[in-house]
Amino acid sequence: MRTQTNLTGVSTIGRRQFLRAAGALIALPTLESIAAPIAQAATSTAGAKNLVSIGAYLGWHQNAFFPKEVGKGYHLPTTLAPLADYQNDFTVFSGLDHRAPNGHGAWSNFLCGNTPNTYSMDQIVADQIGQKSRFPSLQLTAGTGEGSKAMSFTKQGMGLPMIQRPSVFYKQLFMSESDRARMEYMLRSGRSAIDLVLDDATRLKKSVPQSDGDKLEEYFDSMRSVEKRMERQISQINDPLPTTDYKLPDSDPITPNLLMEAEVLMYDLMALAIETESSRVLSFFIDGLGQVFSFDGQPLRSGYHGLSHHGNDPEMIRDLVSIESAHMVCLSGFLGQLKEKKRPNGKSLLDETIILVGTGMGDASRHSNANLPTLVAGGGFNHGSHIAIDQRKPDAPLLGDLYISLMQRLGVETNEFSNASHNMNQFFS
Amino acid sequence: MHSHITNAFVVGLSLAKCRIVLTTYAALRKRKPYILLCYIGVTSTLSLSAKTELPIPDAAYEVLSNYCLDCHDEAEMKGDVNLDPISVDWGQKDNRDLWEKAHYVAKEGFMPPAKKRQPNEKERATLVRWLDGKLLENTPIGGTPPRRLSADEYRSTIRSLFDLPDYELPLGFPKDSEFHGFNNVGEGLVLSPPLMEAYTKVAELVADTVYPPARKEPRSTTRTAGPNDMVLSFSAGKIVDDSLLLVSRGHEIFRSCSWPSRMEVMSSGTYRITVRAAKHKPTWGGPMKLEIRARELSASDRSRADIFRLLKVMDVPSTEPTTITFEAELYEGQTLLFRWMNADMAHDYAKFAKHMEEWFEKDPRWLAAWQHTVFPNGDLSKIRTSVIRGRSGWEFLNKAFNDPNLDMSRATMDDELTVKFLELANSNTGMFNFADILCHYYFTNGPALEFHQVTIEGPLKTVDGPREMLAKKLQKRFTGTRIPGQSDEAFTQDILERFLPQAFRRPVDQETIETYLNIAKRRWVQGGDFDAAMHLLIRNILISPRFIYRLLSPGELDDYDLASRLSYFLTQAPPDKKLLDSAKKGKLSDPQILRREALRLLPQKPTDAMVQSFTSQWLDTNLLPEIMPDPVFKFSEAEITIAEEEVEHFFTEILTKNLPMTDFIDPDFHYTTLAFAKDNYQYPRAEKAAMKSSSMGSESELRKLPLDRGGRYGGLLSQSAVMTATANGVDTQPVLRGVWVLENILGMPPPPPPKNVPALTPDTRGANTPRELLAAHTSEDSCATCHVRIDPVGFVLENFDPVGNWREEWPKTGIPIDPTGTLPDGTSIKDVTELKSWLVDHIDFFSLCLSEKLVTYATGRVPNFAERKEIETIVHQNREKGNGFQDLILALITSETFRTK
Repeated sequence: MRTQTNLTGVSTIGRRQFLRAAGALIALPTLESIAAPIAQAATSTAGAKNLVSIGAYLGWHQNAFFPKEVGKGYHLPTTLAPLADYQNDFTVFSGLDHRAPNGHGAWSNFLCGNTPNTYSMDQIVADQIGQKSRFPSLQLTAGTGEGSKAMSFTKQGMGLPMIQRPSVFYKQLFMSESDRARMEYMLRSGRSAIDLVLDDATRLKKSVPQSDGDKLEEYFDSMRSVEKRMERQISQINDPLPTTDYKLPDSDPITPNLLMEAEVLMYDLMALAIETESSRVLSFFIDGLGQVFSFDGQPLRSGYHGLSHHGNDPEMIRDLVSIESAHMVCLSGFLGQLKEKKRPNGKSLLDETIILVGTGMGDASRHSNANLPTLVAGGGFNHGSHIAIDQRKPDAPLLGDLYISLMQRLGVETNEFSNASHNMNQFFS
Repeated sequence: MHSHITNAFVVGLSLAKCRIVLTTYAALRKRKPYILLCYIGVTSTLSLSAKTELPIPDAAYEVLSNYCLDCHDEAEMKGDVNLDPISVDWGQKDNRDLWEKAHYVAKEGFMPPAKKRQPNEKERATLVRWLDGKLLENTPIGGTPPRRLSADEYRSTIRSLFDLPDYELPLGFPKDSEFHGFNNVGEGLVLSPPLMEAYTKVAELVADTVYPPARKEPRSTTRTAGPNDMVLSFSAGKIVDDSLLLVSRGHEIFRSCSWPSRMEVMSSGTYRITVRAAKHKPTWGGPMKLEIRARELSASDRSRADIFRLLKVMDVPSTEPTTITFEAELYEGQTLLFRWMNADMAHDYAKFAKHMEEWFEKDPRWLAAWQHTVFPNGDLSKIRTSVIRGRSGWEFLNKAFNDPNLDMSRATMDDELTVKFLELANSNTGMFNFADILCHYYFTNGPALEFHQVTIEGPLKTVDGPREMLAKKLQKRFTGTRIPGQSDEAFTQDILERFLPQAFRRPVDQETIETYLNIAKRRWVQGGDFDAAMHLLIRNILISPRFIYRLLSPGELDDYDLASRLSYFLTQAPPDKKLLDSAKKGKLSDPQILRREALRLLPQKPTDAMVQSFTSQWLDTNLLPEIMPDPVFKFSEAEITIAEEEVEHFFTEILTKNLPMTDFIDPDFHYTTLAFAKDNYQYPRAEKAAMKSSSMGSESELRKLPLDRGGRYGGLLSQSAVMTATANGVDTQPVLRGVWVLENILGMPPPPPPKNVPALTPDTRGANTPRELLAAHTSEDSCATCHVRIDPVGFVLENFDPVGNWREEWPKTGIPIDPTGTLPDGTSIKDVTELKSWLVDHIDFFSLCLSEKLVTYATGRVPNFAERKEIETIVHQNREKGNGFQDLILALITSETFRTK
């Protein structure tokens, strides 16, 4: 589905040159060289345009995630070490959570707040600012596991399906000619048949009592909205779509042992999605179950899930943290791409993109959902600190308060989220 | 509202007919022949409208003016209620709704508030009698708006229409909102643009399933995977000296199987498969057997291996690698799955425990090492669990085994550590972890099966995969067989004449068939082939209002609407062929036939959709998955599942055996597992029954257990599911439980609390008892009216903790629970057994409540005043006739209320 392309003027230098990504960590040419006016999409009050929310099913081991010192200049803890180059581009938070129930079942409190499986923060943002891009929001996952079926939830509380295969995500972003032709066929044939269905519906309406006919108006209103959407898509069917030289491997790395490879591909594609303004709101779920990873040819002591139940055994923790650091290596590649890619106004994609890294599980070893490890990168915030919240204080901010700050930064006018009704703006100044 | 009906139907009705209607109207309430009703239902309001505007009689007005109008006149309008009009137009539904509420609160004594002057009995009766008469006289039976299919009904309709029994709606499909406790009530079933988009999407997906998009021409490739290209999960496999060792067999693939990471077949076809494997440190002479199956790469890794198609069992006779090559069909999305079929050890409770026992008998040193690993302090209660996983656990074990100071003193088979260990090994708690450790013993010492390499070459030729095979089957079902020489158009006409009545659940006129035929013809004109037109037809039939809505004709239901109502009520699915045939013959309106068909369609099993959907909504057990009981209650997901199933079995047992309504309250049986009854219901016969349990199946099997009547346990008011659903997993809230019982058992919902009252959340863990906290309620006048009803039934259930276990004291404080109370009719009750016996003596309250819930669920509307009167009569009559639950449902189905739109 495609509603709008934002690559105005790109064709002046050829779209093929526009995007080129040969590998995970190879930067794209900066966009400054393209003298194309890119519409100022965000409102003037918004300091950021995009939101990427990343959640790890088995959490982040707290001791290796939370720095020992607070404020700026802290020593990077083990898990965050791969992010060394970007220490001034992110902020680490400890002591935040949603006061949500414990257990795997309540994992979705990560983006939903105090009540799992309700309107998630990313969807609130998507409903506010996502509608103008081709994809109001995109939900992605890497790996297979037994994790939550969904991380993002609609206003109605419906979990949104996630794309697991990089090849499917790729096809959505960069449609092939045959995909485009099929989409056009579906739209045109559907649009033309609807007229006849509506004729029949009108005949039906005339045959029922007026009160029932009034109820049927809901049907006609809804169909008109579907028609409008189809017409909009038909009118844009020949608009140029972004293209890329980026090549995926032949097969999708969806088996659990290839989790890191899947992450790298998904991050590459997410960077392309942001760059081409295909979507402003992305969520990315990092699953995990029993897979045994090997690093440097050495298999770890247990499967991922088994390690997360480390019972404070130092060797188990060391192996668990080595997986979590590997996630951070992948993330670091993503931050690198976003930082290097620049818009014509000189702003990097990282400046306009808020990246929230967290989890719904504070301590997987105990299935506790308190004190959720959280990291915020990009978005033009004043970064570089470890902000430690003392939960014992009566007015201690909630994770929801941080989310309110993020949403405000994205131009969403709100003062509340779930059980939170403040913000944490002062911590970023 | 009323005027709409009037306008729509005023035209064309002769005066003479109106007169007939008028004269028969009074008789209407006494069950007139059905044929007349279809006119009456619609026209009654019209016919009477001239006479429905009436002043309030003096006697009633005097009561109103003395006791009500201080607050509820035009000037005060408390709660937006004005009871002081010059006259009442009883033809207006709004007016009836208002006075019906007034009738209810006056009759039940909710009004006037306790602090105000109260009318005496005679005065109250004057008001109630006046309203009773006027409301009954003026409320027409029926009035459900067009009902779109609920999400559940929509799913089962697609399943039945296309014969896709496992069809599931896509993730993210909008859910229905609950209205009056149910998700299938007409007024709550709104159709919105997002839902229409979802319907459009589902229609496309279904069309794609029947007529899949063309397959791409496959490219033949040769792909090879070595040990390092294989998935290792848990302790299923390990790379040793450049080969992959498999050491165990188990049901779940992630425990004992391995499969290639990058060998997903992209096109269904025949492939040439070559596998190389060898024996590793064998302890016996025969061949090792390697199972090769085809698994869907996207299937859950928790899947059981035996659901995947077995391609080959390879004999591996020697420690020298053997190679076999064979051809097999592999389908799109599949890869190979390898499992060592005759491995020594199994991930299976009983087999695993036995395996360990035999090992320990032979080798006490290993027993001592395991004891040390699992019970590091030699203490039964301190089990080391977390770190004894996989290789980590193996290192503990191996170190202990090689420790010259290993304590051997308890390494005997009868030591309590050994007994406990074997018990753990035979249970969920220990088996998986222990087995994962034991795998490492085999990785080190053998025997193991060495996997070296697999190669897949192809496709050698293309074949139909499951998708294509299913599509062909579905196409045949959709189109039927073409008469030789028949044109596309004539064939399509036949298809539509057969399929549309199925899809729309009623006969379809020629004009409608034309409309859809035109969709196909247009497609052909634009160059589409026959299949493309069928694809397009499916997409559009599934978004027609005739498919999405049911109930589009007024008055008494015609046979087809009656068939749909009956079928969706009892099966949550569209009418089957037999039912449609009855409708076609015009027989369904015959009460005998209707009863017979209802009997045929009544749920038979606890897993039937109606049982699950109705009970979970009526009793709010659909909240259970979201309630996470505090760990102190030891009530995990497994217990919650049993609690849910218990309700479903209980309901089904009473329904199918036609047991009396009183069995819902005080039955002589539990329907649960023996273990659950022991743990949660202090089941007194547990010991005796356990002795016989070998003949009765396992402790974890749901079954009917005999029970003495009159006890604490048994019946809805003590079932774990209900007690859990009415608490929050942490503490109990007597007010919530009290309101719940009034609403769902007694059928006397209290009016909502006034807006300005702060929510009172009793802290049962604090220093005060809830009773003390709630004393505020009964002393505060505006609260008292309702709370004298709510609190007694709430407190009497305080003996049940948040998961339904019996307790005598409030937690933390240890203050004894005082469950006593006084029911609204003055009866004193000392505990839940007395509440139950009061309910049994007054069973009509419960029967009426459940009947109203059933009727709401079935008709999609909350029964109105006149309908409730009919239901009341049915309930009374049913009690006279033995009070069977099945009889009650059948009587409700043949009621006028059920048979009217």
